[in-house]
Amino acid sequence: MSNRTFLKALRKNGNALAGAAGVGIILCLGLFAPLIAPFPAGYTIEVLQPPSTSHFFGTDKLGLDVFAQIIWGARTSLQVSLIAVAVSGFIGIPLGLVSGYFNGKAGAAIDLAIEVFLTLPVLALMIVAAAALGASITAVAVLIGLFAWPSLARVCRNTTLKVSQTSYIEAAKCSGLPVASILFKHILANIIGPVIVNLTMAMAGAILSESGLSFLGLGDPATWSWGLILKKAWEAGAVLASPNPWWWWLFPSLFIMIYVVSFNLLGNGINDALNPKGQ
Amino acid sequence: MSELLVFSNYSMGFKENNKVVNLIDNVSFAVSKLAAVGIVGESGCGKSMVSLSAMRLLPANAIIQGGEILLNGEDLLAKSENQMQELRGKQISIIFQQPMSSLNPVLDIGFQMQEALTRHFPGTSKTEADETIALELRGVGIHDPAKTMRAYPHQLSGGMCQRVMIAMATICKPSLLIADEPTTALDTTIQAQVLDLMAQLKQKGSILLVTHNLGVVAEICDVVVVMYAGQVVETGKIEDIFKNPQHPYTQGLLASVPTLTTKKSRLHTIQGSVPAIWDFAKGCRFHTRCAMAKSLCENEKPESCQAGSPGHIVACHVYGGYI
Repeated sequence: MSNRTFLKALRKNGNALAGAAGVGIILCLGLFAPLIAPFPAGYTIEVLQPPSTSHFFGTDKLGLDVFAQIIWGARTSLQVSLIAVAVSGFIGIPLGLVSGYFNGKAGAAIDLAIEVFLTLPVLALMIVAAAALGASITAVAVLIGLFAWPSLARVCRNTTLKVSQTSYIEAAKCSGLPVASILFKHILANIIGPVIVNLTMAMAGAILSESGLSFLGLGDPATWSWGLILKKAWEAGAVLASPNPWWWWLFPSLFIMIYVVSFNLLGNGINDALNPKGQ
Repeated sequence: MSELLVFSNYSMGFKENNKVVNLIDNVSFAVSKLAAVGIVGESGCGKSMVSLSAMRLLPANAIIQGGEILLNGEDLLAKSENQMQELRGKQISIIFQQPMSSLNPVLDIGFQMQEALTRHFPGTSKTEADETIALELRGVGIHDPAKTMRAYPHQLSGGMCQRVMIAMATICKPSLLIADEPTTALDTTIQAQVLDLMAQLKQKGSILLVTHNLGVVAEICDVVVVMYAGQVVETGKIEDIFKNPQHPYTQGLLASVPTLTTKKSRLHTIQGSVPAIWDFAKGCRFHTRCAMAKSLCENEKPESCQAGSPGHIVACHVYGGYI
């Protein structure tokens, strides 16, 4: 499929457009955070203000603007998920390609490793590892990536298994190409669709993990993240308090949801656009 | 004429459930320089395995049981995988049956051809490569090389794809081109054009043509190797095989080809079909389908013997005079 037909199919897909729009907005918020609002730090006297024109999403117990926290949180979310996805791609793609191409003992061994990693109680291990590594955004992101690669590797392996059997790969071997160029040019070019879909979905998965870790206090306390806002709201009793400062916990939750849904819709849209028959 | 590729007593089989089943049994033949050799036989005779053996690209469960494959006097079976990679595409090239599926669908023709060239000539500049590719494509009868180089395989017809495959296989000027059923997937007029092309290639290098189409063999080959169930049953110059076939299998194959001169309402058929690899007979593998088979054929493998003119070799008890 050429790029043009792919983009055309993607443009026709309403869900994918909605996803792309969501991703685009969050991307802009994250990129331009310093221009939109100053980094929320310290305290003010405007504590627990409900949403108004001066504070779109109200303020928290320290009088800090929740909107600013969310915007700076978007930045963290993007950083974390990009690093996590990159790490999982660096591990998962080569492993998947190799295990699919050398489908003998080496392939079986890697497949077994994928299988084992998929059965691990990921959240529990991540909590332990995050606690041991200490709180920094990069550490958390790398950690998430280290646990996210198996599903990517599996997708790569399964698609590579199929592509390896084709006569154009046989023909590529016959022209004397070294294994590396067969794997990373000829095969990867053919399986890039499912890989992109998986990476897009992994962006959503990464942020769920990050929010979970931050909520548990294992994130980086020096930067804002959506999970951290929720943690602070929870610790201040904001979720159960009455009268309830609902803006404090509702908006970060909404943004986590928008982020996850947007990336999933975009991933699904890419998938559909790549396989028009699958709709 | 000196010999370019020599198969000498080559045997291979497959490992299945810890048992080795033999397919290719003691195959010997030679391809001379600037000559075309045709390997003919029904499906399942091991023709393609012979061609893949020369590339040393056998399936993972294949086991080489003995013999040698010499290219310019060097044993290919003794080479390392890296040495083979250097050889593939540069000294031996192959074109396959399905031209459409032998090109990578997501990479354009220009990229794939350039890769085939720069793999073995890494110093080639982009412009030099483009010129060489355009020249090669013109050589196979593609009139608008620039446009073809930008195209993806699905935008080309089957005949065009096969031309591109041939251009790609010959871009490094290999001394041997293996063609595995190169015309089977093409329609008749395109077949004729591709065959013309192959006949021209013979002036630049040797061709090993694997096919079940005797007409194609008659068109371009100098020497014919007739295979049945992994064994060479008859070898000879083209005129010996076509005019004076000795092995009952060769005779049967030739009798099943329709001709313009004979007026038969039904074509000859060889009864039965090639047995599966684990059902190969102990003696002469063809005896189960041979009208002339005797008890000796069941139990003893026939030796190869000279039949009439030099180079005409047949492996049959009937011809050998043992019966």
